[in-house]
Amino acid sequence: MTHTAVPWYCKSSDRLLKRRSLTAFLILVMACGTGVFAEDVSQPNNPPSSLPATHLLGFVGARNSSKGTLSIEGDALQFKKNGKAAVQVRIASIHDLLLGDLSRQVGGVPVTLAKAAVPYSGGRAVSLFTHKKYDTLTLEYVDAEGGLHGAIFELTKGQAEGLRNHLLAKGAQVSNAGNEPTKQTAEASSENR
Amino acid sequence: MKTDSPALFVMTTILLTLTIAQPARLSAESTAQWTVQVSKVDPGAVGLSPSFQVAIYENLLQELSKTKRFKWVLRDGDQKAANATDLLLLKTAVERYTAGSETQRAVTTVTGATKLTVHTQLSTPDGKIILERTVHGNVRFMGSNLRATYNLARNIAKTIKKSSLPEPTSSVVTKAMNSTSSDGVVVVESP
Repeated sequence: MTHTAVPWYCKSSDRLLKRRSLTAFLILVMACGTGVFAEDVSQPNNPPSSLPATHLLGFVGARNSSKGTLSIEGDALQFKKNGKAAVQVRIASIHDLLLGDLSRQVGGVPVTLAKAAVPYSGGRAVSLFTHKKYDTLTLEYVDAEGGLHGAIFELTKGQAEGLRNHLLAKGAQVSNAGNEPTKQTAEASSENR
Repeated sequence: MKTDSPALFVMTTILLTLTIAQPARLSAESTAQWTVQVSKVDPGAVGLSPSFQVAIYENLLQELSKTKRFKWVLRDGDQKAANATDLLLLKTAVERYTAGSETQRAVTTVTGATKLTVHTQLSTPDGKIILERTVHGNVRFMGSNLRATYNLARNIAKTIKKSSLPEPTSSVVTKAMNSTSSDGVVVVESP
């Protein structure tokens, strides 16, 4: 009775290895596919219905520093404040779209008063935690008489770029070369001369 | 009864003088108004954020309208400017910009100020400079960074309001016409 030199685990291991590599390959393919589909969702083909935004200034008919929703309705960019009539501009009249970001103190007057009430100027330390970063969307457009308008909207972090891409897909123009988003920060530490 | 009559006479005279003088003053003001066209802000080479550039421009339009110094405040590219008489162009170029931080201001009070310095120029369409100033706009304590653009625009509007602009050419011509028609004599001065 002669036994072969092949160890007891060899055959089963080979099969197991093949199965495992196949499974790993399938998982990899599925993961990549999911990633591709996820990217497709963020493309301009599926525009967001409406985004919460704060109108900082410049949009004709809307009050400065008013909160509302920013949406694309047909060929127009529309800003609607709750309970008020919507104001809009034609997307084709937009000559430039620029992204930026800003950091602001949140909480308004109540938090400011609370900070002032903390003894030994302790409220200043609170300020370190009561700020929030936002995206800004700056657009330049012309009216019917050729007059240049500028408007600034404040959006939740990460939303401005998607909206910009949708507007570009709908016919808005950008003045700077290429379609790469130009993101500039409104807050920096160095002095510019 | 006799004692009241001089006072009554004086009062009536004052009232009559005011009534006659008021419309004349108003008409003089209305004829002496320029139209201003605000040009797009030149950001220069200071790394100014586009939102600041737009905010300065929009705030300038608002603040200049508030001064009531101009007949019309027109936007850059507005077609009405082509037909406007007595037009002035307002050009603004950013010279210096220090980007601040609202959080830094809130924490330290003394640092983190946003500072803007611009060179502003009021000129006629043919290039004659009427007014030229360097104006500052800062936000040092309370408020967001964009507040600096509002302060800057307000300072520019204040500067223009305080300064004495020359009379528009059309009002000079109108005055000359009125004076010639009332006098009936035309004096031509040779150079």
